[in-house]
Amino acid sequence: MASSLSATTPSLTFASQTLYTRLSIPLSLSLPLSSSHFLSDPKTLSSLSRHHRGLLSHCHSHSHRHRRAFAARAESENGAEPARPYDFDLFTIGAGSGGVRASRFASNFGASVAVCELPFSTISSDTTGGFGGTCVLRGCVPKKLLVYASKYSHEFEESHGFGWKYDAEPKHDWSTLMSNKNAELQRLTGIYKNILTNAGVMLIEGRGKIVDPHTVDVDGKLYSARHILVSVGGRPFIPEIPGSEYAIDSDAALDLPSKPKKIAIVGGGYIAVEFAGIFNGLITEVHVFIRQKKVLRGFDEEIRDFVAEQMSIRGIEFHTEESPQAIIKSADGSLSLKTNKGTVEGFSHVMFATGRRPNTKNLGLETVGVKMTKNGAIEVDEYSRTSVPSIWAVGDVTDRLNLTPVALMEGGALAKTLFQNEPTKPDYRAVPSAVFSQPPIGQVGLSEEQAIQEYGDVDIFTANFRPLKATLSGLPDRVFMKLVVCAKTNKVLGLHMCGDDAAEIVQGFAVAVKAGLTKADYDATVGIHPTAAEEFVTMRTPTRKIRKTSEEKIDSEAKAPAGV
Amino acid sequence: MARKMLIDGELSQPNAEEGHYDFDLFVIGAGSGGVRASRFSANYGAKVGICELPFHPISSEVIGGIGGTCVIRGCVPKKILVYGASFRGELEDARNYGWELNEKIDFNWKKLLHKKTEEIVRLNGIYKRLLTNAGVKSYEGEGKIVGPNEVEVTQLDGTKLSYTAKHILIATGSRAQRPDIPGQELAITSDEALSLEELPKRVVILGGGYIAVEFASIWNGMGVAVDLCFRKELPLRGFDDEMRAVVARNLEGRGVNLHPRTSLSEIIKTGDGIKVITDHGEELIADVVMFATGRAPNTKRLNLEAVGVELDQTGAVKVDEYSRTNIPSIWAVGDVTNRMNLTPVALMEGTCFAKTVFGGQPSKPDHKDVPCAVFSIPSLSVVGLSEEQAIEQANGDILVFTSTFNPMKNTISGRQEKTIMKLVVDAETDKVLGASMCGPDSPEIMQGIAVAVKCGATKAQFDSTVGIHPSAAEEFVTMRSVSRRIAGASKPKKTNL
Repeated sequence: MASSLSATTPSLTFASQTLYTRLSIPLSLSLPLSSSHFLSDPKTLSSLSRHHRGLLSHCHSHSHRHRRAFAARAESENGAEPARPYDFDLFTIGAGSGGVRASRFASNFGASVAVCELPFSTISSDTTGGFGGTCVLRGCVPKKLLVYASKYSHEFEESHGFGWKYDAEPKHDWSTLMSNKNAELQRLTGIYKNILTNAGVMLIEGRGKIVDPHTVDVDGKLYSARHILVSVGGRPFIPEIPGSEYAIDSDAALDLPSKPKKIAIVGGGYIAVEFAGIFNGLITEVHVFIRQKKVLRGFDEEIRDFVAEQMSIRGIEFHTEESPQAIIKSADGSLSLKTNKGTVEGFSHVMFATGRRPNTKNLGLETVGVKMTKNGAIEVDEYSRTSVPSIWAVGDVTDRLNLTPVALMEGGALAKTLFQNEPTKPDYRAVPSAVFSQPPIGQVGLSEEQAIQEYGDVDIFTANFRPLKATLSGLPDRVFMKLVVCAKTNKVLGLHMCGDDAAEIVQGFAVAVKAGLTKADYDATVGIHPTAAEEFVTMRTPTRKIRKTSEEKIDSEAKAPAGV
Repeated sequence: MARKMLIDGELSQPNAEEGHYDFDLFVIGAGSGGVRASRFSANYGAKVGICELPFHPISSEVIGGIGGTCVIRGCVPKKILVYGASFRGELEDARNYGWELNEKIDFNWKKLLHKKTEEIVRLNGIYKRLLTNAGVKSYEGEGKIVGPNEVEVTQLDGTKLSYTAKHILIATGSRAQRPDIPGQELAITSDEALSLEELPKRVVILGGGYIAVEFASIWNGMGVAVDLCFRKELPLRGFDDEMRAVVARNLEGRGVNLHPRTSLSEIIKTGDGIKVITDHGEELIADVVMFATGRAPNTKRLNLEAVGVELDQTGAVKVDEYSRTNIPSIWAVGDVTNRMNLTPVALMEGTCFAKTVFGGQPSKPDHKDVPCAVFSIPSLSVVGLSEEQAIEQANGDILVFTSTFNPMKNTISGRQEKTIMKLVVDAETDKVLGASMCGPDSPEIMQGIAVAVKCGATKAQFDSTVGIHPSAAEEFVTMRSVSRRIAGASKPKKTNL
């Protein structure tokens, strides 16, 4: 790779920060590659877990000439400004999923890039963060690791039905889990730093603040940049109620010094149900308080019902239509949660999973005139550009679709737009997602309710069955699956599942949904036997046909075992 | 509903003009293909009879059971044992996640065996009801073909029933074969392996196919010492070579002793167990020796020669694209035709048969891009072409995208086992020709990928799909860099793995 790069790529090192002045370099310039910063170290690559490798794939640096042409166009758009050299082509504030992706790809496309990030801590604040961002340090990764840990208690139960027996019931040691989890997070934040360094991105530890449309202040030091990217993400939000200082958020919940004995989780979103599953699996008594009738607003209604039922069966207690009013600490140190319906006592912990807010405070955004929504999210156009032409934003700080792979998509698209002369809009259609509740949920496309709203006439295919594993284990686990099909075009508009492996199962179907495949295409696919996933290609009879005029219900065929 | 016999255009009105037949359809064999064809034909309005041998977990010429191989001696019991065996690895992995387990964990084979038998008995009952509810008349006994439109069922007590039928469907499946080795009678096949009274301590498996590999994983997970002998360099001939290598490495990593390029010369009973002598002269001692050396179609006792139904040299019934034999009124589906021996394929063939003959829609089963899985631990699943097949069939260049990674769960469990994924893409059309994966949950992951591959999805369409994070499956939509490009002209020499 090095040799091919050196033939076509101008060199770019930290020493040459001023190299990219406004078209001051002739297009034909070709300098020898004087730094190895560009090249990913294969040893680092192979040491990564799968999760991170996705962030690592190389972009080929073959389009530098295009980049320059685009840059020239961008110049003319902002022609009023005087030409002056910048320290960087791109300065990124925040090295989470979106920021790292945009920075790396920009650098691979030939831009000079710097990124600043707060010092590492498992708990985020105005002064702490860490390379890797929410996903790696306080979100997807530690959450999934705790999900893995907590799932075992269910597996131990299952194993009895398969002939396994333990002299003593397995006990869980919280500190082992925490120290192994934290060792992994330390490893990952280090890997993220390496990824950036190897991509030739300059790393700056500190708090970035925008001073003017082309200048960022990091702890008193000023850096100029042609483009500034804000990718500072979001943070958990705890509403102000009496005693809210006793509450913990998801950051803290992922790194508790000891295991809760009894926890109240306030909130009905995905974070709430995921933590409910985690603590329940680790043998904590779990109470979930939700303002609405059901968990997971925005998800398919049947999925919402199904997951709550399965979670209840596993021992989680739901308190519906209860809003928290106060947290009271008793003399013995235990906490009580007072709601509009009464008070529940004896909690060791009260966790709020009541939403996340963009980290836009104290960033200097108001000063330079970057527009924000009333939630504090940065307003951007379809290319992730803010109201200030040289300032861009991706990821949770824009509060579009707050998912790591979406931030990656936005970051990748931005790098292409800015530095590869390929204006690229992120595409939000049919973005799949998962809730790592127990059992988990996977979904892509429209819910039944959304589909009816948008298309009117839809056919609904559902399956609700006891998986093979449960017939042996004797546990009351079930699986629910749904296909939402457009009656007119036969296109599969949405696909939903709650049950073991749902997140893994839905990914492949997401390709099919995104590609606009029809129900007939699903039917033409042969099943893989015996799996749960095969159910999605063997749904022959609609459970109901919904027509604008009337709803025609059809009794679903009893699920034949083995689909025969 | 008009019931056209669409192949030859002849009209079929079973209940009226064709009333001189006892049945519109008589099916021999109530496994996956036979049950599906019977039920669907009955749903189309046909009068259907079906015969099946009496139930027993271990099959023979005179024993079988409604549900067939899949339910009684295949997919279902096998998967149950795989679940049971998988717990060993799970328990090992749990420790680094903070779970304190006793050193001594007890596995009770008899309990699992009992529950497995209960489950297949339950399923056998469900299948019987499925047939009854569909209006299909079931007979217990051995079916034989007497004439192009006549079958004879020999019942348990020896009495014989004779029926005429407008169409006869052969769906008798297949049975495990034994190689001709001195002492072969000391060995068992997969039928018995699913129902052993006692869990052996030492097992020798002969064979490199999916059954051999699955049982190696099952016994290994149950704490049995396993020696796996196979003729080739790698197990799972026909699968992608890279995947085969990973499966072999994983089996070894979990403690299975692999003996590549090895056949068995002799099996001898000794005081200490069964002595197995390999063709290299090596001696292995086992409590159980299992042959997984292929399966043969059940065609011997059907009296096919009487009516002249043609068989191929393996003994499989020869059929056309609509599953029709050379005798126009006789058809065959499933393993007995030895096309692609998978339950869902038999289901597809059975469905197409019913549609063709009684549904007024001539339908050919489509054997292209059929996904399948090997339930080794961890599992392997594939759809479409392997890298080698793609190169073999390519007109232009082939792009291969691979990803080998440490699954997130292993970062804490410490398990040293990589997952591997591969996409094989036609460079010119960008179509994904094949996908394969070896790693946890691969069969579940592959099903959705199979829809995309079947429908000719392009690599660009995979790339435009957003990942589900954090999952293993998201790797299939985030493979950006080509691992290698193989020019259509520069085909590598065939290996002999």
